[in-house]
Amino acid sequence: MSPDDADGANDEPVDDGTVDTDAYSDVWVFVEEHDGDVMTVSWELLAEARGLADDLGEDLVALVIGEDVDDVAGEAIERGADRALVADDPVFEPYRADPYGEQFRALVEERRPAIVLIGGTHTGRDFAGRVAVPAHAGLTADCTELGVDDDGLLEARRPAFGGNVLATIVCADHRPQMATVRPGVFAAAAPDPDRAGAVEQVDVVVDEADTVTEVRERVVGDTADITEADRIVAAGGGCNGDLSPVEALADALDADLAASRKAVDEGWVDGSRQVGQTGKTVRPDLYVAVGISGAVQHVEGMNDSDVVVAINDDPNAPIFDHADYGIVGDLFEVCPALAERVRDGEALAGSEADIEPEAQR
Amino acid sequence: MGDEPVIVVGVKQVPDDDEVRIDPDTGHLDRASAPAVMNPPDRNALEAALGLRDDAGGTVVAVTMGPPTATDVLEEAVAIGCDDAALITDRAFAGSDTWPTSLTLAAAAESLGADVFVCGEETTDSSTGQVPPGIAAHLGWAQLTYAEELDPEFDDETLVARRDVEGGHEVVAAELPVVVAVAYGEFEPRPAGLHRKLYAESEFEPIELSAEDIGLDDDEVGIDASPTEVGGMETVEPVERERVVVEGVDELADELAETEVFG
Ligand SMILES: Cc1cc2nc3c(=O)[nH]c(=O)nc-3n(C[C@H](O)[C@H](O)[C@H](O)COP(=O)(O)OP(=O)(O)OC[C@H]3O[C@@H](n4cnc5c(N)ncnc54)[C@H](O)[C@@H]3O)c2cc1C
Ligand SMILES: Nc1ncnc2c1ncn2[C@@H]1O[C@H](COP(=O)(O)O)[C@@H](O)[C@H]1O
Repeated sequence: MSPDDADGANDEPVDDGTVDTDAYSDVWVFVEEHDGDVMTVSWELLAEARGLADDLGEDLVALVIGEDVDDVAGEAIERGADRALVADDPVFEPYRADPYGEQFRALVEERRPAIVLIGGTHTGRDFAGRVAVPAHAGLTADCTELGVDDDGLLEARRPAFGGNVLATIVCADHRPQMATVRPGVFAAAAPDPDRAGAVEQVDVVVDEADTVTEVRERVVGDTADITEADRIVAAGGGCNGDLSPVEALADALDADLAASRKAVDEGWVDGSRQVGQTGKTVRPDLYVAVGISGAVQHVEGMNDSDVVVAINDDPNAPIFDHADYGIVGDLFEVCPALAERVRDGEALAGSEADIEPEAQR
Repeated sequence: MGDEPVIVVGVKQVPDDDEVRIDPDTGHLDRASAPAVMNPPDRNALEAALGLRDDAGGTVVAVTMGPPTATDVLEEAVAIGCDDAALITDRAFAGSDTWPTSLTLAAAAESLGADVFVCGEETTDSSTGQVPPGIAAHLGWAQLTYAEELDPEFDDETLVARRDVEGGHEVVAAELPVVVAVAYGEFEPRPAGLHRKLYAESEFEPIELSAEDIGLDDDEVGIDASPTEVGGMETVEPVERERVVVEGVDELADELAETEVFG
């Protein structure tokens, strides 16, 4: 072990056999905020966890860590939490795994939650993986369904083997039972300003002097939320750096722009618009995949769309197996032509005709 | 840190996704018959580790926890440029979920005297991404996940990373020792050199370490130490799609006009 072990995270875990599972209760949701802005997935989790807490007859608790986060705690109550636990200190802004991890460890030891849900964002996964270890918690990544069984055990379901199988993961002998869920899997509930709940400030156990990381710069730009979009046009590797045809089509359809991981990795589209296993789950009425091959990791994120259209010049591209309508053709020709046809077509314009088409970038 | 940094890189053998076939009888994916390859994101990890050595010197040791057949990915890692490689193998590891897996890799890192432990973003077979933060937590080290650029300031016992955060990036400086998980697709892997490849295939033998060798008891690892278990598997019916391929834009527009989206 390193002598400058900053956060005691390497303390010996509690001996496996001796976890008194009955001593643990309540459902916690980690509310991920950055500078006061909450990631939507946290609200999605609160909505879903409300049902779990009701099934268990236990409290739903929002865990809010950050600086000046009283408003966030208040909103968490409005969005379904019975109580909020707030760790408020400059050491928690911006997010760092080591101070967050140490604060969480202390809270779990003291308060003993039965279930902890965390958004599957980069920050959420960074946090979840870190905190599950000292607690010797069971952690299931990227769940798509959550439930509790007759014994009150969390049943965390996640796709396995390329999505053909849904595996149910349980954690019988360890607490807390933890799960991460990717953005867009559940729907967020609207806030109810009449809801009341207690906001409790907890002791901050972390000292800046003990941290082992320093954030030198943080730049966040496009944080588009594509999970609520009714129509999506998604760009893939086939675009070859030129997004104009895709944007024109998105514009004509009054749709939001999204992308495959390839298009994101190439830097053509921002990461907040990525669809798929390591991006967002979307379920629009219409999903148009442009120059996207249809890898399982992509399809997983768009399979709940109502109508899927694929534009690809390779007739054997797997995307055609996951599409309702496909055109085999060059996207640089098909997109502008379809955009024009959409603009002209009476039938296609439909009820949207009176709405000014507007770029959604 | 000693005089020369020791950079350990975690690589895992996984079934080749591109070769996974559908079993005609059951309709399930048949992963068992797929050839085993190096987890694609670990190629990026390997490149990141070699890049650190290019910049700051030291040695790069590839590590895998797996069955003896996983030696193949270690050979590949050595062919690409790792100085050495270690196979962490023991029957006691069977059934490990991420908790004991990260404990095992953490213990291996200590045995090898690692200053930096580089991992991939996630594996394609278990796809949790939890192992790297888990290793860091077991060791009480700093962690830098979703790294897209690395800048060793080893003279100051520091590693700086540019991390991908949703909608932007951040630059984080971490004290050594540190666990890094690199963003998949960043750090374009270099090809294996011919000379190195011959060496890896003919002469090279990995270091082999058991649970005991890295200071772990059998009951600290494997299925007994795994908090999670699979409670059941259900087949998911594939989403039904029309799968109509139309000839041209007009026909597509006509079809779309029939759908509820525009109806
Ligand atoms: C751990 C892991 C996680 C991942 N997570 C995700 C994820 O969340 N989301 C995701 O999308 N991917 C993800 N991937 C990557 C995924 O495996 C694929 O590599 C990726 O989806 C490919 O993107 P693409 O289809 O846009 O690009 P490509 O594979 O490059 O395909 C381009 C397609 O465009 C077509 N094309 C080329 N030119 C034209 C043209 N002029 N006109 C029409 N068509 C054309 C080609 O025929 C081809 O089908 C992940 C991979 C791993 C290993
Ligand atoms: N058995 C293993 N041996 C070596 N490295 C591993 C192993 N399992 C996971 N890793 C590393 O941890 C990363 C994330 O894996 P995972 O958390 O399983 O998605 C991988 O990309 C590897 O770098």
